[in-house]
Amino acid sequence: MTVLSFSLTPDATGRMYELLVCLAKFGDSVSLEARSEKASPLTITALNLSRTAYASFALDAKTFFISYDFQATSSLKNGDRFTCQLLNKALQSVFKSRANEGRSRESTVERCDVSIQDQPDKTECRLIVKMLCKHGLTKTYRLTYESVEVMHALFDKSAATQGWRISARVLREYVEFFGPKTEQLDLLAQDGKAIFTSFTEKIQDGKEVLKHPLETAITIHVEDFEEFHMQENMHIVVSVKDFKAIVAHAETMRGSISAQFSFPNRPLQFSYQNSGIYCEFTLMTDDVRGATSTANAKFVSTRSSSRQPSVVPVHSFNRTYSEMPPPARPPMNQSFGSQRQSHSLGSQNRQNSMAESDPDPESLFVSGGEDDSRWDPPALDNDDGEDMLGWDSNYENPGASFHPQLEDREPVAPAEPSLQQTGTQATEGLEPTQRLSQLHGMFD
Amino acid sequence: MANSQPLFTAVSSSARQLILLLRCISFAKKVQVRISLDGLHFTTDQGSVMEAFVVLEKALFTSYTYNHPAPPSSQDDPLPQPVFEVSLSSLLETLSIFSLYDPATIKRPSGDPSFDAFGAHRLHRHAGFDPFSARSLGMTGTCTFTYDGDGSPLRIHMAESGVTTSCDLTTYEAASTDPIPFRRDALALKTIMRSTYLLDAIVELASLTPTELTINAFPQSRRQHGTSALSISASGALGSVSVSFSAPSSPSNGAATTADPPILETFQCHNSTRARFSFSALQAAQRAMGAATKVSLRIDEAGVLSLQFLVEIEPVSNAGGALSIGNEKVAFVDFRVVSLVDDEYAEEEDSGGSSTADD
Repeated sequence: MTVLSFSLTPDATGRMYELLVCLAKFGDSVSLEARSEKASPLTITALNLSRTAYASFALDAKTFFISYDFQATSSLKNGDRFTCQLLNKALQSVFKSRANEGRSRESTVERCDVSIQDQPDKTECRLIVKMLCKHGLTKTYRLTYESVEVMHALFDKSAATQGWRISARVLREYVEFFGPKTEQLDLLAQDGKAIFTSFTEKIQDGKEVLKHPLETAITIHVEDFEEFHMQENMHIVVSVKDFKAIVAHAETMRGSISAQFSFPNRPLQFSYQNSGIYCEFTLMTDDVRGATSTANAKFVSTRSSSRQPSVVPVHSFNRTYSEMPPPARPPMNQSFGSQRQSHSLGSQNRQNSMAESDPDPESLFVSGGEDDSRWDPPALDNDDGEDMLGWDSNYENPGASFHPQLEDREPVAPAEPSLQQTGTQATEGLEPTQRLSQLHGMFD
Repeated sequence: MANSQPLFTAVSSSARQLILLLRCISFAKKVQVRISLDGLHFTTDQGSVMEAFVVLEKALFTSYTYNHPAPPSSQDDPLPQPVFEVSLSSLLETLSIFSLYDPATIKRPSGDPSFDAFGAHRLHRHAGFDPFSARSLGMTGTCTFTYDGDGSPLRIHMAESGVTTSCDLTTYEAASTDPIPFRRDALALKTIMRSTYLLDAIVELASLTPTELTINAFPQSRRQHGTSALSISASGALGSVSVSFSAPSSPSNGAATTADPPILETFQCHNSTRARFSFSALQAAQRAMGAATKVSLRIDEAGVLSLQFLVEIEPVSNAGGALSIGNEKVAFVDFRVVSLVDDEYAEEEDSGGSSTADD
């Protein structure tokens, strides 16, 4: 039974390869999610091992595909969705030869048919990619896939009031200057300029210097941005590697890249779209260098209004999980890659909003309360728009359990990432379920 | 045999032609060389599963002298032709000593201090030249092969613009291996295609790092509508790949536009054929696939695969630089691969196999 089948033009086949290359920078495997909805029925995503970065490519039914057919049947576990995961390497090798057509121009692809055979009662469940080339040459790939539930990062766009947009080509030129060994990227707005600093912190083990400090700063005038709105002297730190991968791919799409964010230690989203591909990258940010006081926050902005709009109006994202109401903030000590305590950040945010005396809806929700129900298995309430890198399902990636930061903080039960996320009681171990006195009967 | 008259002497004005052909079979450490009146026969093999041979024909050399020793009396059988083995990498290195620009050149030994100085000199002298011109590729040089019978080294003398290199390659006693028998009169499959298609297919298959590969062929009579004529498939841990070709002048293949030339220029197959081969053997032939223009793929009824590559040899450039197309020579590189023994391999399997091949 064919669950899903779609056809691609040669151009889309090449785009597919480009996005796979981009996804490969985030993780070894990619996840596919097919839905029956009209707008963007197929999403290809990747999540990195430490779960601090999430990349998603939503493909538009009309512009990206020649044809798209999804049979939502009752046999699917998720009802109207089909999800699977497969190795990026395998998919890349399927699409790779299309990228360098120079080698054998004769065997140019004319059409690419992809179908997924999903037969619960049979063993042959395969993702079948059929490359139809000229002269009757056909290349058929049958790839094994893993039927897993896909996780999506949730990003609350309404809370992310700050952001900028710039031509991807311009940004790509600047990115070239970042040192190849630098690890982190600091975004800062100061004096009408945006400062991108890539840096590596010095790590020393006794006398041996494990990592040499290195900094490359690039200053871009705010006027070079198509749009810019960011709080002055606020440091937002992301990974250079992720940033480079995103910018490199954005450049191939020939458009403008947007960033949306709220505050350090909160997720940041890069997005751009073209030729029927909606690209979104949600990255966890850090404020390693963020020792700056934010007491009287000023904004470096190209927006005409002096007041900060509560919702970013310029981006029109017709994505599904973007129009969600901001929920209560989850406990901050669950944040990824963050060693900050919840109360400090919460108070900082309160401070920001109060100092600005802006009717920012976000301030209503900065409770810092330990609302454990937020961490229930999120598949149940998919529309749960946390302001963190939250996940909409129990994602049992075995590799993710090796995330050192999670292990450092919560040494108990490292093999169950969902447990780590869902409950603070994970650190407390299991409650006794039986009184010792009740055990006597067994040995009497 | 007097010293003044060696057993064998050959002079080539283009070492590059010889390198091109010898690289096609450079998957083994040693190469067996047989000298005959027609030319130099080079044979390499991999276990006894696969063998490859190329003949450097007499016509490739500007002068070719082989003094076949006469038998003691006319009644005796003629003496066997001289056969020996040399290290293939050393031979290729020697021949490519002047062609600095070739990226495919095998790594040179770093222990030779004179080499770098010499290379720098060459680079300097050719600065500003097109690196792919015949001149800078060392085609203006000549190379001379000399062999003086059992136990003596194969002496290669390279000369270019007054710079000469002499190299004595130690010869080894040839291991006597019988060639893999291939029955030309009992063919199960014969097809001719451009070798880039075959290379492309092997590269696709290689992405799964398979251990073996299967060739399926279906005759016209037993083919269903839209079914391909020939398919090459392999499977690995991540899945399986199958590259299939439709037959020439087949009205029933929907994907091919009739105006385009078919991929399979010739396709002869009377019974459905299915054979499995070691993938590494086919990978060893990759270099030949890249160098050749056409390949004739044949499988005999015993399941031996013969790949015959037609390699066009660029003509030696003359002083004037004018090349006539009619000047082009062709050479053949042959590969023979024994099929893997398949317990299920039987004629009855063929009908079952046809259903797997149309995808």
